[in-house]
Amino acid sequence: MEFRRSTIYMGTTAILVLSLTGLMLHAKAKVRASAPLFARKTAVVRQLELTDLCLFTEATYTRHLSMTDLSTPFQDAPLSLEHFPSGGLVGPPPHLAQKP
Amino acid sequence: MISARNISKVFNAGRPNEFTALHGVSLDVQLHETTVLKGPSGSGKTTLLSLIGCMARPTTGRIFLNEREITSLPERFLTEVRRSTFGFIFQQFNLIKGISALENVMAPAYPTGEKFSLLRRRAMETLEMFDLGKRADARIEWLSGGEAQRVAIARALIHNPAIIIADEPTTHLDTRLSHEFMDIMGDLKARGTTIILASHDPLVYGSDLVDRVVEMRDGQVVDGESAL
Amino acid sequence: MTRMIERQRHIMDFTLAALLRRKGKNGALLSVYTLLVFILASILFFTHALKHEAALVLNEAPEIIVQRTMTGRYQTIPVAWSDRIRQINGVISVHPRLWGYKYDKDFLANYTMMVPAGNPPEPGSIDIGSGISRMRGANRGDIIAFAGHDGQPRSFTIRNIFDSESQLVTSDLILLSEKDYRDFSGIPEDQSTDLALQVRNPREYATIAEKISRMYPDSRPIVRTEIQRTYDALFGWRSGLMIVIFAAVALAFVIFAWDKATGLSAEEQKEIGILKAVGWETSDIMLMKFWEGSIISLTAFLLGTILAYAHVFFTSAALFAPVIKGWSTLYPTFRLTPFIDFGQVATLFFLTVVPYTVTTIIPSWRAATIDPDTVMR
Repeated sequence: MEFRRSTIYMGTTAILVLSLTGLMLHAKAKVRASAPLFARKTAVVRQLELTDLCLFTEATYTRHLSMTDLSTPFQDAPLSLEHFPSGGLVGPPPHLAQKP
Repeated sequence: MISARNISKVFNAGRPNEFTALHGVSLDVQLHETTVLKGPSGSGKTTLLSLIGCMARPTTGRIFLNEREITSLPERFLTEVRRSTFGFIFQQFNLIKGISALENVMAPAYPTGEKFSLLRRRAMETLEMFDLGKRADARIEWLSGGEAQRVAIARALIHNPAIIIADEPTTHLDTRLSHEFMDIMGDLKARGTTIILASHDPLVYGSDLVDRVVEMRDGQVVDGESAL
Repeated sequence: MTRMIERQRHIMDFTLAALLRRKGKNGALLSVYTLLVFILASILFFTHALKHEAALVLNEAPEIIVQRTMTGRYQTIPVAWSDRIRQINGVISVHPRLWGYKYDKDFLANYTMMVPAGNPPEPGSIDIGSGISRMRGANRGDIIAFAGHDGQPRSFTIRNIFDSESQLVTSDLILLSEKDYRDFSGIPEDQSTDLALQVRNPREYATIAEKISRMYPDSRPIVRTEIQRTYDALFGWRSGLMIVIFAAVALAFVIFAWDKATGLSAEEQKEIGILKAVGWETSDIMLMKFWEGSIISLTAFLLGTILAYAHVFFTSAALFAPVIKGWSTLYPTFRLTPFIDFGQVATLFFLTVVPYTVTTIIPSWRAATIDPDTVMR
């Protein structure tokens, strides 16, 4: 006899739930295993006195986002358009954007 | 016995298109008999059938099923009575498209939570009664007119109802299929099932198995009233 | 109990049959829904993992950076300032940093050149980030030449290449000696790019920053917490990635609204009438609609989330790469550590499954309460 539709559905859902649970466990295991990796990364940051993530290299103000000043990138003139894509992805850092 | 006492049914009450389908109808239907409601379209046959079959409530009046008043039951109980007592065959069969004949027959029993294997076996047996065992897995759209008709009857029988209600069952059938339908009704009657039909087809109300013809017109019974 | 379960399963059977009947429409709905969840979950996974990683890594960033501004832009800072700043109570050390950018016309790439605090390469040699090595096909021992501030090319031997595991902070770096960098960039001996401070007590950050501002009104101190906050606010609600989400949500919502606003088709209404006529109750119809909504939305949630996890953490967010890259030719590959915010996953679940299911049930409420005799009329 062929399977009932509900059996097939519940089976599929069970497989998906198990997969998702498996991935979450995978994440936990990876995070636990990453402690030495982070020790090495933070050592690099400390040694080189780095301040920013190398996410965007196209523009200086998104390369060192926290080191940037307000007027140059965000912008020289109020009507000038952002021309680097990454400038459209990130906003100015909070310590520049907030009013004193 | 099913007794209707002075029942009226008003549709769209209070609105400009208010329409009274039944005017104070009283009627007794004996069990194990075959009764035909006869009359032109718009005479109130279908409305009366749906009230007797617990599908709707009358606006006024009361209906008794074996001395039990069913008009004032809440929806849950009404559905329960309908499910356990009546089997319905509709004018256009009203089968559900896209699913198999077997599933159509099983569908009325889904809410009861009957065990799948038991329900399936019962539905198969009912289909086999009508030589439809081979067509059980066929979709409704693929069935011939005669097969669809028999599936509709099989569906009406899934709960072993004491009463079969059929509304204009032969309207869309040719003569051969109409005869076949009445033959099946004859078999059911022989097994003690009460049959209530609404029809203006002479082939139905003129049939030998009919015990009583009730003639209706303009929402009233004009002939065949039993002595009350 | 078994009857209750069997009833659920029967109605589920029926609902699945009904869904399969309109394969095209429901398949499209499921795909769009899965895509929506996939995009949302991808962004959530990606940004959360990135922020978490930034918070961990930048925890070791310099505690205070002092910049100097002139006409609203930052300028090199006199090394002599460090002596006065060192006098401030609580400051352990002040180290002048030398760094800047170099645009490479041949590769259209922007490098970050930097003089490291410890273990600098000897003059004539450099350490480079794995991104540069990958882009230029440069290996240890190769010689690379760059034109300096005076237009004269200077050649360097590659001493070392950073491990790619640290590329999220080192991908575009070129490390060189102080002597080489001053010669290369033309920064005078008495100037540096900015100052990096070590401070004894984190609670003194604000006071020290204030003292520096008072001491040098044209200076601009940036505290480590501000650096960290910068990356915590990265991809915030007002940024571009979120607008992409909103666009996707809006699109899906339009499709959804279109689907739901058209309500139940005449065919569906008739079907509900038939079911009621043959013995289904209002609650059975609602149950069917409940299953209809939850089957679609739960499947979309599970599929979308699983795909998003694979996308972000197994393929390094391949679909986001073009967005992040922009015009840059030099970029890290995001081998992110899968930091998952389980609360976020739960929120995603409630935001995707519950509203859809509810909105599937509601339009059918009226149809479910119709008198069963309508099929006979």
